[in-house]
Amino acid sequence: MSFMRLKNVDISYKLENTSVRAVRSFSCDIERGDIVGIVGESGSGKSTLALGIMRLLPPNASLSAETMLFDGRNILSFNQDELRKIRWKEISVVFQKAMNALSPVHKIFTQMYDVIIAHSPDTSKGKAYKMLTELFSKVNLPSKVLNMYPHELSGGMMQRVMITMSLIHNPKMIIFDEVTTALDVITQGQLLDEINRLVREFGLTAIIITHDIGVVNEVCNKVAVMYAGELLEFGKVKDVIFSPMHPYTKALVKSHPDLRIGNELIKGIPGSLPDLTDPPGGCIFYPRCDVRLDLCKSVKPEVSVLGDRIVKCHRIQR
Amino acid sequence: MSGFVRFITRRVISIIPMVLLIVLINFFIIHLAPGNPAQIISGLEQPSQEVIKALEHRYGLDKPLVVQLGIYFKNALKGDLGYSYIYSEPVITLIKERIGATLLLTLTSAVLAFISGTLLAAWSSRYKKGILDSILSILSYVLYAMPSFWLALILILIFSSNLRWFPTAGMFNVRLSLHGFSRFGDILYHLFLPVLTLTLIQIPVYFRVTRSSIFQVSRDEYILTMTAAGLERKKIFNKYVLKNAILPSVTIFGLTLGYAITGSALVEIVFAWPGMGRLMLDAVFKRDYNLLLGIYFVLAVCICIAILLTDVFYAILDPRIRYK
Repeated sequence: MSFMRLKNVDISYKLENTSVRAVRSFSCDIERGDIVGIVGESGSGKSTLALGIMRLLPPNASLSAETMLFDGRNILSFNQDELRKIRWKEISVVFQKAMNALSPVHKIFTQMYDVIIAHSPDTSKGKAYKMLTELFSKVNLPSKVLNMYPHELSGGMMQRVMITMSLIHNPKMIIFDEVTTALDVITQGQLLDEINRLVREFGLTAIIITHDIGVVNEVCNKVAVMYAGELLEFGKVKDVIFSPMHPYTKALVKSHPDLRIGNELIKGIPGSLPDLTDPPGGCIFYPRCDVRLDLCKSVKPEVSVLGDRIVKCHRIQR
Repeated sequence: MSGFVRFITRRVISIIPMVLLIVLINFFIIHLAPGNPAQIISGLEQPSQEVIKALEHRYGLDKPLVVQLGIYFKNALKGDLGYSYIYSEPVITLIKERIGATLLLTLTSAVLAFISGTLLAAWSSRYKKGILDSILSILSYVLYAMPSFWLALILILIFSSNLRWFPTAGMFNVRLSLHGFSRFGDILYHLFLPVLTLTLIQIPVYFRVTRSSIFQVSRDEYILTMTAAGLERKKIFNKYVLKNAILPSVTIFGLTLGYAITGSALVEIVFAWPGMGRLMLDAVFKRDYNLLLGIYFVLAVCICIAILLTDVFYAILDPRIRYK
């Protein structure tokens, strides 16, 4: 049994008089210890999916799925109280905008302590302080940060604080939602190294949401390529990134500069995301695909499973 | 903390030129207004030129404005705000007799309005778009638009004339000479209706601002973090939403505190409250220049202090604001 099994997850946002189908029939299996990267451009539904897994979607969003299993339990049927109990204790998240991820008018320690006593109410302040100092040292943060306010920290420090916070209750799984996006390259590199180390040290299963293939390459063992709310390709990093099968993955890999090759032209993907209030009937990538067939316009491609690899393209099926 | 002390010292010092500037502007504005105090002092409908001349000379009103201003400043620096033409008493004495009553009224109602407006907003926002929330929202519009003196009259009509629960006017019962605790109780008894009026008038601002601020803060990232971390909703609301949502109300509190001291004049008149409101209106109508300037001077100082206190309070609540 997989550690996390998602089958046909659909998420849509209700707007004034339309609805945006942000994630459509997303299916994938995540094994214990996997570090899965979810890549895709902005608006491809990556963060929505993460919020959906945590059941943290805003009130105007609706979530449906055939299966949503986490560690053998169906989280789809959980009520608010059951959800509250697994949040942070079993799954935690590190959000994208670290600078705004903590209350600006409370000290870091106050907020961390509240997170601690939310699940272990008997923890004393002294014990919490010791435990947090220890966790902080793992991400190279001095303990004096505990007595500071969020605005006194840099983006990198705040992101480290958030990573520490996600580790507080020793969860089984952590979702990292674009954690390095707002940071400079040096800090990005350091942070990725730290994440890499922590995930292994704590024996975590992780989902790393990013639009940077470099990040996936560095940290993940599996990767899911998302486009306009659909999963187009899923598999081991060494397969998907180094021999992509889906035309979108190929284009995505090509649009990433390679340090080893000197003067190769970086190719972008012409066109833009389709309108998700009314997604096209055939292949979602049809309008921007350079190897499209007539069939692709009207018929949705089936999911082809090739060993531990999933591809959604008509060209693969034939 | 020494930076904080330095900040306060500097702000207190900066009040001095600010108040002087206000006095200067007031001085000229008051003298620009049509009407002549000499005519009112004479008590005659059509006083002769000689009478006017004599009175103007006696009160120094025939000197050039700049000279008058110089004299005013010279005396003011010695703590002498001059004599009232009408009451023939030192302005300072007149103000001293009344400022306590006004501050009691305005400060009590400002604090009550702040607390109840904020609490109502917190309570109502839990039932967003529900019946209670809608009723409170409509009610707050009605109260916001209501003239204070009219509300005061209606409250007198209901609670004093019909129900006979509260007195119609005054600050204490002049027929009884009460002392100690019973005098305190008597003042509270008289205070109730005027404070209720001023509080009701001021609640809508706090209610509306806090309510929208709560909705905004509830969508902030850190609230999502706290929810994701499995904190209970009640705790998130009471600790994290409220403290962040209260910040704009604090700013408004400072602003209205300054306004409340002058804005309560009409209510004071309706309830015959022995405060500065009546004194000020009389001084305006009778062109009592010295008294008017004196009142404005005291008000300017009060407003400056109110704003300073707000800044200090804000700094305590919001760590992002640090004064150097």
